[in-house]
Amino acid sequence: MAHNEPVPVEFLAPNSDAVVVEMCGDAQNVHRLEELGIRCGCKLRMLSPGEPCLLAIEGKKMCLRLGKSADILVQPLGS
Amino acid sequence: MVRQSISSNSPPKGNSSSGETQGGVPRNATVALIGNPNTGKSSLFNALCGANARVGNYAGVTVEHKTGRLQIGDRLSSPNRAQWQVEVVDLPGTYSLAARSADEAVSVEVLAGEMPGVPKPDAVIVILDSTNLERNLYLLSQVLELRIPVIAALNMWDRIDAEGVRIDPSKLSKSLGLPVICTSASNRTGIDELKIQLLEMLDRKDPSLGLPDSTSLASGCFPEAFGKSVDGLVDWFASEGIALNRFQVERLLIDDPQGHSFRVIAKDQSSTVQSKISEVRDALKSQGLAIPLFETRCRYGWIKSRISGVLERDSRPREHSTSDKIDRWLTHRWIGLLFFLVLMFLLFQSITLVADWPMKLIEEAQGFLGAWIESWVPPGPLRSLLVEGVLAGVGGVVVFLPQIAILFLFIGILEDCGYMSRAAFMMDKFMSVLGMSGKSFLPLMSSFACAIPGIMATRTIENRKDRMVTILIAPLMSCSARWPVYVLMVSAFVPPLTALNGWLSLRGAVLFGMVSLGSVVAIPVAWFLKRFLFPGEPSAFVMELSSYKWPSWRVVFARVWERVQAFVLRAGTLIFVTSVLVWAAAYFPANHAQLDAMVSQMESLSTDPQGHKAEIETLVEQINREKSRLIEQSFLGQAGNAIAPLVRPLGWDGKIGIAVLASFPAREVIVATLGTIYALGSGVDESNDGLADQLRAATWPDGTLVFSLATALSIMVFFALCAQCASTLMTIRRETNSWVWPIFSFLYMTTLAYVGAWVTYQVVSVWSL
Repeated sequence: MAHNEPVPVEFLAPNSDAVVVEMCGDAQNVHRLEELGIRCGCKLRMLSPGEPCLLAIEGKKMCLRLGKSADILVQPLGS
Repeated sequence: MVRQSISSNSPPKGNSSSGETQGGVPRNATVALIGNPNTGKSSLFNALCGANARVGNYAGVTVEHKTGRLQIGDRLSSPNRAQWQVEVVDLPGTYSLAARSADEAVSVEVLAGEMPGVPKPDAVIVILDSTNLERNLYLLSQVLELRIPVIAALNMWDRIDAEGVRIDPSKLSKSLGLPVICTSASNRTGIDELKIQLLEMLDRKDPSLGLPDSTSLASGCFPEAFGKSVDGLVDWFASEGIALNRFQVERLLIDDPQGHSFRVIAKDQSSTVQSKISEVRDALKSQGLAIPLFETRCRYGWIKSRISGVLERDSRPREHSTSDKIDRWLTHRWIGLLFFLVLMFLLFQSITLVADWPMKLIEEAQGFLGAWIESWVPPGPLRSLLVEGVLAGVGGVVVFLPQIAILFLFIGILEDCGYMSRAAFMMDKFMSVLGMSGKSFLPLMSSFACAIPGIMATRTIENRKDRMVTILIAPLMSCSARWPVYVLMVSAFVPPLTALNGWLSLRGAVLFGMVSLGSVVAIPVAWFLKRFLFPGEPSAFVMELSSYKWPSWRVVFARVWERVQAFVLRAGTLIFVTSVLVWAAAYFPANHAQLDAMVSQMESLSTDPQGHKAEIETLVEQINREKSRLIEQSFLGQAGNAIAPLVRPLGWDGKIGIAVLASFPAREVIVATLGTIYALGSGVDESNDGLADQLRAATWPDGTLVFSLATALSIMVFFALCAQCASTLMTIRRETNSWVWPIFSFLYMTTLAYVGAWVTYQVVSVWSL
């Protein structure tokens, strides 16, 4: 997996950092995620992968299982 | 001078417009507190009002709005200054005013002045997490549009250095155009400054002077085309005879048509409203303003412009905090799950160990009180009512107070330290298999204390189908009212075997099994409900986890005290009345004159027991025979004989059947009822023994013992699964707005209970042979 390719957030390896580049899915669900602070351009770190996964988003821990409701594509950042 | 007093859920007195002015009478005002979950909102509410509102570390703990009273102003030092009697309304934590769940809708209704019994707030304190300002300003941007004077409290100010955040509060105040106060509610700093600012805002003759320059926020934040569309829609609604303000129309335009906003604001108006809104949305979409996503884009754009030059973050990577280190283990897929199960097991083990001696103390006090009453009141109906009715009934339930207090203490600690949201994260994987989400876990966990707050906590669940399933399985969780039954049966009929030097006991293990039974049975029930009655894709699960913190003992003990008070109040009212009714049914219509004469005679002989030993023995035998005859002839005895065939397959006699029937309004009543029935029916030499001893001595007419391990387990299984709580059923009715679901809950749980108890009795009886 090349570092500059966007990947679904669930695919991030533990303790890897990434930036959100695209959010898609049902508009109301994406709207909700954005209200919670998960939006394009925000940095996150994968703390515990899986479903649900545990992320640190702008320093705040957030657990996330989106299922079919929405997709978050992230661009992994170099270590 | 600042004085504080509190009245939780007390009705507000009215707002400033209707309040008295100077002249000795304080003016009235209403102030709302709002903020994202986990911003320390409830702690700030407590700091302002001196109240001990419940504080939790997971989203949406403040399900009901709470009000506190705060009196501010100083007439002595400044005679012209008004005094204010402020009703502070603590609103549920929310990320946005785009209401999706029932508790978020509460916030919108209160702020819009549409909540019955709550005046429209004169001012709003928006609590912002200083360490996550951007996201918190999103909610503030929405509140500003309500045209209510706003104070921003930059809470958690003590944490910004550790988080590498630097904020210039005065620049922020200027940038936002409203007062900004730095606070740290957990250590009570900045609270006086906040009160002074609130006083100054209320003191202005025209409260609108406190309104920041936010009236043009919508036009400044949103594109002009959107503003024009909103204006057009306001006019359209007016022409339709529906008076809505700009904010309400904005929300209707942006929010989900199936969501709470539409139901609350438009009151489920006709499809004409729907089609008009769709028409405007389509027009906006053609102009590149796709609803609803343009809202977040515009608001975050506005936020970016407001914090430019105000907020700085360290670019260095954040070091791992203590919370991170703990979470590495507690949120681990397997270790975290194992930790949760072991924690729960130890919790129930420790409850049985710790509560033992205070229980004995209460029992001794009960025996002492009974003997004292007998020494003052002669044999007859009054003595029987006091000792065998009230004391045996109410006292039999109160004896379990230590367990209940310890259970609430543990739950309070787990909630307040931040562990519960981790448990919800751990359980989401499992719950998603059932088609639900980890969000259902928190209400279900609350239901282990009491199903009523558990069911009310489901208001935080956004998905309606998930919420319904959670409501319907919540009463299966073993609430504290079941504990008296479990403890009574376990202590009387489960052998006191121990291992590991007494640290593990068989009684504790059986108790744990009984407490877990409801949640185990809830699994297939939830699967069935989700599969056949509420089908749909598993909903998404997004939840913020707050940092761990040491529990606030004041908050935890306040919570324990609140629940203990409720338990004692119930024992003093509902259980008292039931005890008296059961006593009357077991005492009348038989004539007790002969029995009273025999008891008087025995008491006079007892002054010299050695000299009248033979006479006393004969008399005891006669009294026991008479008591058995009287209870057989009573209304209760007749009802017991009628019900006996129905409960015989469960291993119960008529007395147990009657006690179970009497406990349908409130399950803990069974202990009181058994206490009364067995106190009335017991022999005189057993009258001062505990209820457990009386149950062990109970016999069938052929002389064989009524109670065995199989009978005790059968009773416990019945109570674990049955819907014996009228208050819970009424709460289901209120939350679902339908009679169908409480009736459904009652029927399915009672059926499960009967079948479960029957299978248990049959299997254990065979196994015991």
